[in-house]
Amino acid sequence: MAGAALEIDRVEAAYGATRVLKGVSLAVRPGEFVALLGSSGCGKTTLLRAVSGFVPIAAGRISVDGRDISGLPPDKRDMAMVFQSYALWPHMTAAGNIGYGLKLRGWGKARIAERVGQMLAMLKLDGLGERMVTQLSGGQRQRVALGRALAIDPRILLLDEPLSNLDARIREDVRHEIKALQNKLGITAIHVTHDREEAMVMADRIVILDAGEIAQVGSPEEVYNRPASAFVASFMGAGNVVRLAARRDGSGLVLGAGELSNEIQVPVAAVSGPADGQVVAHFRGEAATLGAADADEAGKLILRGRIAQASYPGGHWRYGVAVGTQHFMVDDPRRLPVGEPVGIGLPLSSLHLFAAGSPADRA
Amino acid sequence: MASSRLIGLLLVAPALLAVGALFVYPLGFSVATAFTTKEGILTLGNFYRAFELYSVDIGFTLVIVGASTLLCGLLAIAIGGYLTLGENPRAVAILKWLYRWPLFIPFVVAAQCMRTFIAKNGLMNNSLVSLGILEPIQTTSLLDWRGIVITFVWKQTPFVALLVAGAMASLDRSTIEAARNLGAGRLRILIEIVTPQVLPTLVVALILSFVTMMSVLSVPIMISGESPTMMTVDMAFRINAYGDYGTANALGVLSYLMTGAVAWIYLRRGIRQGGKP
Repeated sequence: MAGAALEIDRVEAAYGATRVLKGVSLAVRPGEFVALLGSSGCGKTTLLRAVSGFVPIAAGRISVDGRDISGLPPDKRDMAMVFQSYALWPHMTAAGNIGYGLKLRGWGKARIAERVGQMLAMLKLDGLGERMVTQLSGGQRQRVALGRALAIDPRILLLDEPLSNLDARIREDVRHEIKALQNKLGITAIHVTHDREEAMVMADRIVILDAGEIAQVGSPEEVYNRPASAFVASFMGAGNVVRLAARRDGSGLVLGAGELSNEIQVPVAAVSGPADGQVVAHFRGEAATLGAADADEAGKLILRGRIAQASYPGGHWRYGVAVGTQHFMVDDPRRLPVGEPVGIGLPLSSLHLFAAGSPADRA
Repeated sequence: MASSRLIGLLLVAPALLAVGALFVYPLGFSVATAFTTKEGILTLGNFYRAFELYSVDIGFTLVIVGASTLLCGLLAIAIGGYLTLGENPRAVAILKWLYRWPLFIPFVVAAQCMRTFIAKNGLMNNSLVSLGILEPIQTTSLLDWRGIVITFVWKQTPFVALLVAGAMASLDRSTIEAARNLGAGRLRILIEIVTPQVLPTLVVALILSFVTMMSVLSVPIMISGESPTMMTVDMAFRINAYGDYGTANALGVLSYLMTGAVAWIYLRRGIRQGGKP
C-alpha cells in the first residue's frame, strides 16, 4: 500500500517447529489505530513482537515508511511498546520511567524535565512524578507506561493488551482515554487484544487472526455485521449456530430446519459459498426475538422450541431455548416461565449464512 | 495459656540449647579470653599486643577481602548479565555449565590449584611463555597478596553469580524488553535496568562472601607465606607457636567486629523487608 506507515508483507514466524504466523500481510495507514484481535494462541502477540523486533521472522518483510526494518534489532526500530505487565522499572520514579527514553536519546536534563512534565499533565498524573512506581495504583502505572512510550514520540505505538490488568470499571475509562489521546496525537497504533468490545471501541480497523492467519480485516462495523467466515461470526459474538437445509427455488434459496422451523426465502448472494444442500446459520442472541411457537412471519426464520433456562444479566432476560437437541441463547425484555413453548424469530438481516463444508464454514 | 507457653518453650528448647552450646558459649568464652590475662585479670593488653604486632595485617586483611568482594560483585554481574542478556544460546549454555564449578571445590584445594597455576614456573606462566607472549625472564610469581585475591575471587564469584543470576532470571523480562524497545543497548540495560533491580540480592551475596573470606586460613597460608598476611594466619600462629590464646582471641574479636559491621547491614535490610533473608 502506497504511503503506509507500517507494512507487513507475508510475514512468517515460528517457535521451534511450531509455525505461529503463516504469511500475514497487512498495511497500516499513518495515524490509524489497528486492533489485532483473536483468541489465545492465534499469533496476535507474536505478530506484535515480530513488528517490534523481539521475535525474529522466518520469511517476509516488515517496513516502516517504505524502509525495510526486518533485520533491525528492537532498539533501532523507533517504536514504543506498552506491555501487558506495564514493565515499569521499580527502582525508578514515575518521572524517571517516563524520561528514560529521552535520556537514551541524549536529551539534556532540563529538556527531559519539561517533556516529562507535559506527559504527566497530559496523562493526569500531575504531582506524581517523584513517586516510585511501586507506590502507584494500577491505573496510574498504566498511564506511566503509556507516558514512557509516548514521550519519545515514536513512529509507531505498540500496545500489548495494556488494559487486561485493570479492573473492569477503570478499563472502560482508559479505553476512551487512550483512543482520544491517539486521535489527538495522530500517532499510528497497533493494539493487541482478545477483548472484542475493546477492539470495537478503540480501533479504526480490526484484524481478526486465527491460527496464524488473518481471518478478516475491516472496520468494527464490517467485521461485526458482515463476518467473512463462521469463525469470525462466532468470535464476534454470533455464537448460536443452526444447520439449515437449503434448496434452490427459482432465483433464490429456501432455507429451513425441517420440522423444527418454518421455511424462509433468501437470495443466493446471502450465503457465503456454494449454497446447495446444507447451510450453517450464525446469529446473536440479542438479534433474535421470542414469540409464539406456532407463529409464521414472512421473511423471518422461526425456530420452535421451549424455554429451558432463564437468567437476568441486567436490562433484559437471557433464555436458554431448547430446539430439538440444540440449545440457543436468546435475549428478551419480557419475563417468561421456564418450560414455555416459544418460537425464536430470526429476520434475514440477523443471520450470517455460510455454505456447510465451504472454507467459510470453518469455525 | 501458661501451658501453651510451656509447650512452645519446650519445642524451641533443643534449638536454643544447640545455639547456646555450640555458638554462644564458645563465642562468649573467646571474647572473655580476649579481655583477660592468663591469670584471669581483666586487661586490654591483648588488644595492645594485637595492634602492636599485627596492625599492618589487620589493614591488609580488610583490603584483600574488600577488594575480593568488589571483584566478585563485578564478575558476578558480568556473568549474570551475560546469562540474562546474551544472545548466543550456545555461549550462554557453556557459561551456565562452567561458572559453577569452583563452588564445589574447597578453599584448600582451590589454593593448591592456584599454587600450581600462578607460581613463577606455574601453568599460567609456562603457557604464556610457550605461546611466545612472555619471555622466561619476564615471568613473575603471583604467590603474594595478588594470589590470595585471585583465589578468593575464583572461589567466591560462582556463589555470588549463582544468586545474582537467579535473581536476574526471575526479573520480569518485559522490564528488559521495555528498555530495549526504547533504544537501550545491552550494556546499558545491564547497568541501568537489571543490576539496580537485583541489588538487594547482590548485597546479600557479597556480605556472605565477605564473611566467608574473612575466616579462611588455608588460602593465605598456602598462597603467600610472607608478611604481611591475613589475620587468620596470625591467630593460628599465636596459638600454635606461643599458646597465646589472649592475642589470638583479641584478633578474633576484631574480625568479629568487621564481619559484624557487614552483618549489621544485612540484618538491617532483612528487617526492612519484613524479616525476609
